[in-house]
Amino acid sequence: MLFQLTDLIKIYGGRRVLDIPELNLEKGDICALLGANGSGKTTLLEILSLLIPPTSGKLRYKDLDIAFSGKNLTTLRREIVMVQQNPVLFSTTVRKNLEFCLKIRRIAPETREKIIDESLDLVGMREFSNEAAQKLSGGETQRVAIARALVCSPKVIFFDEPTANVDVENQDVIERTMGEINDQKEISVMFTTHNVAQATKLSSRVISLFAGKVVPSTYENIFSGKIMEYEDGNKYCKINEDISFLVDTKKTGNVRLAISPLEIKLSSAQDIVPGKGIFRGRIIQLTEERGRVRATIDVGVQVYAFLPGYQAREKALYIGDNVGIQFPVDAVKIF
Amino acid sequence: MHFLIDSLLSAILLLWSFDPDLYFIIYVSLKVSLSSTLLSSILGIPAGFFIASKEFIAKRVVITTFNSLMALPTVVVGLLVYAFISRKGLLGILDLLYTQTAMVIGQVILIFPIVVSLTIAAISHVDERYRKTALTLGATPFQAGLIVFREARFAIIAVIIAAFGRVIAEIGISMMLGGNVKGYTRTMTTAMALEYDKGEFVLGVALGIVLLLISFIVNIFFNYLQGRGRA
Repeated sequence: MLFQLTDLIKIYGGRRVLDIPELNLEKGDICALLGANGSGKTTLLEILSLLIPPTSGKLRYKDLDIAFSGKNLTTLRREIVMVQQNPVLFSTTVRKNLEFCLKIRRIAPETREKIIDESLDLVGMREFSNEAAQKLSGGETQRVAIARALVCSPKVIFFDEPTANVDVENQDVIERTMGEINDQKEISVMFTTHNVAQATKLSSRVISLFAGKVVPSTYENIFSGKIMEYEDGNKYCKINEDISFLVDTKKTGNVRLAISPLEIKLSSAQDIVPGKGIFRGRIIQLTEERGRVRATIDVGVQVYAFLPGYQAREKALYIGDNVGIQFPVDAVKIF
Repeated sequence: MHFLIDSLLSAILLLWSFDPDLYFIIYVSLKVSLSSTLLSSILGIPAGFFIASKEFIAKRVVITTFNSLMALPTVVVGLLVYAFISRKGLLGILDLLYTQTAMVIGQVILIFPIVVSLTIAAISHVDERYRKTALTLGATPFQAGLIVFREARFAIIAVIIAAFGRVIAEIGISMMLGGNVKGYTRTMTTAMALEYDKGEFVLGVALGIVLLLISFIVNIFFNYLQGRGRA
């Protein structure tokens, strides 16, 4: 096990920005951390990178309890590198930015050149080697920051929103590089994103964060709703005038909820009679992701559903088709 | 008006003639000011860096105190140091009054708060991401501190120049602790004040020209360094 988090809490200015009872990260994974702005993604990466301590809770790295005041923190940090969102390069040349990591590790000057050139080659930035680092564009800066992380020969690399502010060309290079780092160099990779398609395309595991908590959903179908108790004793959640469905919860009033996209069933619209828990909608997007189909359905709000590839073919789904959607009570998680 | 032009021409001639008295005054001024700037930088820059980088109780109080001391009047420093180094003072036995050392001590006290405050501002303006980047790349906290310092280098040079500008142009401390002794503690500013008292303007204007030239040269040097930094 690479990282084990137990009862990890981080409080900033009286606000609980992270609250993770338990989370394990496996060695060798390429893992996506999915969440909206302010969901605690960067904070979690900074704690895992050993840059900031949690307010309380336990963090284990390679079966070792981390003491943030410990003397071996720098030694452990040298195995874990974080590439920040909008990374900063030191105000010197590209080459010297990379050389900094080797100098502080006391790598002999004669071997430094080779390591630096290899890393710059991997991100296609070798020709910029002697350029002033601060004159590079956003995408080039991001690529140099990745090369700089690689010369550290880390065991783990964290990328915070690696493609948030870069153009399509640089985005392709960065996504390909992340894959190569994981495949060829056997470095565990974790990246944050709010792009669901990117998360599912690149990673072997997706962890969703919502308001500082790990949520059992891919974050796509998250809604605000109001829970009301009916005369029959059942509770229904209403997310707008037309959509309300049965829920199993002790909570009442305003809540946030997630509907698991894996548990949403699609059926031909003519076969169903709309009622509570069954809704009529129209398919507005179909994409293929790792052998399964992601359908975006407009039912008044946008709902995402994942179907196995064979099921999508059997049902012969097309964009523009009217469909019915339904989901079991336990597909709705309330938090 | 013509007397000003006459004084200006005579001053230029005086400078051109390499008058030894004039150049010795310039030498004393530069020696004392550079010494006090160097000393206050050695003490003040690390102090400012420490205050900016560390979190401790009463940090705001310390910063506010140093900011307030930036406005310290030179005559107050002169009086304070005089009280210690005059014959009756605690350090009277060292016989420092009316020496260049006394002037340096006074000037260091004057610009130490300026160096500390401006260094705090310079370090605080460096993006926090530099420190975090250095740490995540494997730097020790000390090495990460050096990276932050490096990124603030031009602002730090500006701090030193501001401190030098303050002491080269001050008169209160030089007069009260140096005593304006000819050939020993007479500086450009004290000499100018004396010439004014005598109603002689030629030497005063000549020294004024030199003071402005020094300020100009220092700023050209600073701009050159900033240009190199951007390149």
